[in-house]
Amino acid sequence: MSTHMTYQPSILVVDDESHIQHVVSLKLRNAGYLVETAADGEEALHAIAARIPDLIVTDLQMPYLDGIGLCRALLDSPDTNEVPVIVLTARGYALGEEAVELPNVSAVLSKPFSPRAILDVVSDICQIREKAA
Amino acid sequence: MFKTLTRSMLTAMACGGAVAGGAIGLSLVFGAPSGIWPAIAGGTLAAALLGGLAATIIMRSTAAFHTRLESTHTAEAVAAAPRWLRPTARTLVGCLDRLGAREEAWRTRERDLEIRTRVAEAGREQAEAVLAVMNEAVLVVNPFNELVMANDAAGTLLGFDASNTQGQSLATLVNDSTLRRIISETLEGACTSTRQAELMLDATEHSDAVACEVMVGCIRDGKGRPSAAVAVLHDLTREREIAQMKSEFVSKASHELRTPLSSMRACVEMLVDGEADDTATREEFYSIIQSETERLSRLVDNMLNISRIEAGIIEIDRAAVDLRTIIEQAMRAIEPQARERGQTLHVEAAPVDLHVNGDHDMLQQVVVNLLSNAVKYTPEGGRISVIADSDNLARCVHVAVQDTGLGIPPDDVERIFEKFYRVENYKRVAKGTGLGLNLCRHIVETVHGGQIGLESTLGMGSRFWFTVPMGTVEAAKAAA
Repeated sequence: MSTHMTYQPSILVVDDESHIQHVVSLKLRNAGYLVETAADGEEALHAIAARIPDLIVTDLQMPYLDGIGLCRALLDSPDTNEVPVIVLTARGYALGEEAVELPNVSAVLSKPFSPRAILDVVSDICQIREKAA
Repeated sequence: MFKTLTRSMLTAMACGGAVAGGAIGLSLVFGAPSGIWPAIAGGTLAAALLGGLAATIIMRSTAAFHTRLESTHTAEAVAAAPRWLRPTARTLVGCLDRLGAREEAWRTRERDLEIRTRVAEAGREQAEAVLAVMNEAVLVVNPFNELVMANDAAGTLLGFDASNTQGQSLATLVNDSTLRRIISETLEGACTSTRQAELMLDATEHSDAVACEVMVGCIRDGKGRPSAAVAVLHDLTREREIAQMKSEFVSKASHELRTPLSSMRACVEMLVDGEADDTATREEFYSIIQSETERLSRLVDNMLNISRIEAGIIEIDRAAVDLRTIIEQAMRAIEPQARERGQTLHVEAAPVDLHVNGDHDMLQQVVVNLLSNAVKYTPEGGRISVIADSDNLARCVHVAVQDTGLGIPPDDVERIFEKFYRVENYKRVAKGTGLGLNLCRHIVETVHGGQIGLESTLGMGSRFWFTVPMGTVEAAKAAA
C-alpha cells in the first residue's frame, strides 16, 4: 500500500497497553503510515504540541488523561479540533456512547479488535480527507 | 335453674288453692242475706278450713312431686304427683324438658362461640406475628378506605406508626396516589384478580425514595362483595443494588478479559497476515500471546475462586498449617522475579510456633500474591521483607510483607482490596488482574476468619499484613 501513497499521513497511536500500542503501530507502519506513539492522554497532548498528526487512534481507558479527556482537549484548540479520532474500547457496547457523541470521534472499535479493521477505518478516513483537501 | 323455678311455681299454685278456698268462703259471706249470719259464719269457717286443707294437700303433693322431680326421672315424678295434678305436671315437665334442651343448646352454642373466639384470636395473633416478622410491608384496608391492619414494615416503608393507625383513613397515611388508587379500585371491585405494579415511593424525613413492587388482592364476603383489600409491598432497593453490583462486576470483568484478548487476537492476526516479517518481531508476538494467555488464565482462576468463596461453595482443605513453611515456599517461588529486578528478599520469622488451622494452598496464594505485588511495585534494587510472629493475646499468627516500593496514594488505600480496583497511575508499572488483593482478602477474612490490611507511605513503601487465628495445640501436634 505504501507504494501507492504520494503523501504519508501521520498517525498518533495512544494506548497504555504496550502490546496493543506496538501491534497497531506495526500494522500502520507496514501500510506506509508515519506512526508516533503515546502511553496516555497527557503524553499524547505533548506529542501533538510538537506535531499535529493527521489522525489519532486512542484507547478509551488510560491513566492520567483518558480517551474522552484527550478528545475534549483536542476540541478545545482550533489547531486540533478537526483532527479525526478513532477510539478503541474494551468497555463493550454501553460505555462507548459518550465518545460517539464527540464531534471529532470518527469511529469507535471494540476490543478485541482486528488490526485489519483498524487499517481499513484509518485508510477510509485518510482517503476522505485527501479528497476533501 | 328451671327446677328452682318449678318449686316456686308449685308453691304459688298451692298458695293459690288456699286463697281460692278462702275467697269462696268470703264471697259466700258478703253475698248472703242478713238473716242467716250464724250459718254464714259457720259456712265461711268451713270454706276457709276447706281452702286451707286443699292448700295443704296441694302443698304436700307438689312438695312430694318436686322432691321426686329433683331426685328421679321426670316420668316417675309425674307418676308420683296426685292424679288431679298430673296433666299440669306433665305439661310442666314437657316445658321443663324443652327448656332444658334449649339451655343445653345455648350452653353448647356458648362453648362453641368461646372456642371459635379463641381460635380466631389465636389465628389473628399468629397472623400478626407472621406479618410482624415479614420484610414485606402489608396493609389491610376496609371498603371505607380505612386501615384495618398494617405491620411494622409497612409503617417503616410508608412513614407512619403501624401500632397506632387502625381505623385511620388511607388518604392521611399513604402519600403515594398510585398505591391509594390501586387499593380503591380493588375495593370498588374494579379488578377481579390480584394487581401488581411497581411504585417509586417519595423520599420521607426518615428514608430516601424507595422503588417497590406492590401486589393488591381483594378479600370478598359471602356474597362476593369486596370486604377488604390486602396490599403487599416489596422493597426493591436491595435487589436493585445487587443488580447494579452484578452489572458493574460484569462490565469490569469483561473489560479485564477483553484487554489480554485484544493483544492475543491482534498478535495472531499479524502473524497470520505475515506482517511480523522478522524473527525478532515474531518471537515478540509469540511471547505476548504466551504472557497474555497466562494473564487471562489467572484472571479467570481468580474470578472463579472469588465467586466460589462468595457463594460458600469452595472446598477448603483445613489442616494444621505451618506459616513458616508457607513463607519459605512462597519466597522460593518469587525469588527468580526478585533476582531479575535486583531486589533482596528477607524473612524475619520469630522463633515461635506459627501454626494455624487453615488451607495450605490458599494461604500460600495469599503470601505469593502479596510478595508478587511487592516485587512488581518496588523499583529495581529494592528490599522486600516478610515478617512473621504470633500474638498470644489475640490468639493469632501475624504475617507482614514490607517493601521499599512506590507506596499507595492515601485515597486508594481504602479501595485497594475491591474487585478490579487498581491504582490508575500504576497500571503502566505492572500488569495485573485487579483481583489479586480481593482474593487475598476473601481467603484471609472469609475462609480463615482473619484480618487483612495495609499501611503505606507514598514513595516510601507499603506494608501489607494479615492475621490468621492460631491452630489448636492438638492440630499442631498432629501436624508435627
